[in-house]
Amino acid sequence: MIEVIKPGTLTTIQSRPRLGLRHRGVPSGGAADPLSLALANRLVGNQWDAPALEATLIGPVLKFTKDCSVAIAGGATASLLNGDDVNRHATINVRAGDTLSVGVIRAGARCYIAFSGGLDVPEVLGSASTNLQAEFGGYKGRALAANDELVARGGVVEPCETPDKFRLTPSSSIALRTCESPETDLLSETSHASLFSGNWLVDQRADRMGIRLGGETLTVRSDGRMPSAAVFPGTVQCPEDGAPYLLGVDAGTVGGYPRVAQVARLDRHLLGQLRPGDRVRFVKMAPDEALQALRGKQDYWREWLPDIDAII
Amino acid sequence: MLTRIADDQFSIDAESAPFAQALADHLRVSGAWLDVVPGINSVVVQFDAGRTKADDAERLIDVAYADFEYRPTDDGPLIEIPVRYGGEDGPDLEPLCADLGISKTEFIEQHTGQAYPVEMVGFTPGFAFIGGLPTSLHAPRRSAPRQQVPAGSVAVADSRTGLYALASPGGWNLVGRTDMTLFDPHGEDPFPISPGMRVRFVAR
Repeated sequence: MIEVIKPGTLTTIQSRPRLGLRHRGVPSGGAADPLSLALANRLVGNQWDAPALEATLIGPVLKFTKDCSVAIAGGATASLLNGDDVNRHATINVRAGDTLSVGVIRAGARCYIAFSGGLDVPEVLGSASTNLQAEFGGYKGRALAANDELVARGGVVEPCETPDKFRLTPSSSIALRTCESPETDLLSETSHASLFSGNWLVDQRADRMGIRLGGETLTVRSDGRMPSAAVFPGTVQCPEDGAPYLLGVDAGTVGGYPRVAQVARLDRHLLGQLRPGDRVRFVKMAPDEALQALRGKQDYWREWLPDIDAII
Repeated sequence: MLTRIADDQFSIDAESAPFAQALADHLRVSGAWLDVVPGINSVVVQFDAGRTKADDAERLIDVAYADFEYRPTDDGPLIEIPVRYGGEDGPDLEPLCADLGISKTEFIEQHTGQAYPVEMVGFTPGFAFIGGLPTSLHAPRRSAPRQQVPAGSVAVADSRTGLYALASPGGWNLVGRTDMTLFDPHGEDPFPISPGMRVRFVAR
């Protein structure tokens, strides 16, 4: 068993997304950065989507009552096991009585803490992922609190390390490959240029629902009465106030604001690591070029993560 | 018309919300899509770009569209939704009636006076867009959305009534509230209200 001593800022159980339910209003959700979830699960011998913890900005403090294997991936932390440094890119074997303090995330926004066998929580609507807004999935549909008790399904596994070429280091300045969207042409010519050349600032309002972008404003020709249409993680909406909003994994499934850009699939996992103060650039790409780059990225990762096609 | 959105989505124009729903249902069984999401006048198909070529996805959509025939229906199952109008449950009812130049009683009589089609579910789990609001009850959204609208709120904007299945931010005019469960993730049927159904509001 794993006892939550301190929950951290916002720690939830996340797994794979919920697919095929957007027409019912259910967002895909799941790990905001699925690639990092997969890297953590890989080190403890799990399937990429075994239920794990997603910690935000400050990680939890956990006490173990049973031997098991743990791994941390994603945002950079200086984690401690019983007060000693741990290797972020390797399996950590813990003993009953050990305390793991994940600590502050210094680069990136989220880290993933995976446990051998995965956390024992039921699937709801096809996934174990927590949906905070609708309060279902994960641990009782909510973020962890002190004194919660978690159960890892597995025991100690053979330790391994992430090969150097697959170690990710989140950056505070991120380029996202992005395509045009149905309402891109509602942007004025100047705004179109600044959307794709500007250095956008991640606002304080950045969560799993979405990220408000600051630094500049856009001019969009809109009467505020666009008929609601499908939106997805990575859609850039532009409300009448001109401050673009980059939708996250838990965003609403339809929206009535102009869709001015769409982050291409290959870079959507990067949205989960954006934190207030980071810089974002939208690099314009043609759809087929983005698709080809996706294939290349999947081919690169397949050697370490055989299920990469389902991950990014 | 078919429009490409980014690397993994296609948008198809639809003449109306019920058309979009029917087309989405038809497309959903025509291929292994990740999601098929109808809007008010469009349907967006998300395909698995890592495994399916864009050309193949486009061809599948074209073929499915070619044998799609839209038959409007108005005989979907009818369900009654009990609503407490006005007061704390519908704080916008009074100012809205003042704007519309009618009494609260007249508003309630008109709102409960007919069955309405469920046009779309979306935004948050179970949020229902219900069409057919009489012109005499049309009003724009609030200029400033509320940070938090309680679950079960019944609200109007333009030609629609909206049902807030969950507590969420929202800009529609709140006219009442229902105790009916509109989304139950653990229930046998998590989504008691679906497009194609008809609803009648009953004042409590």
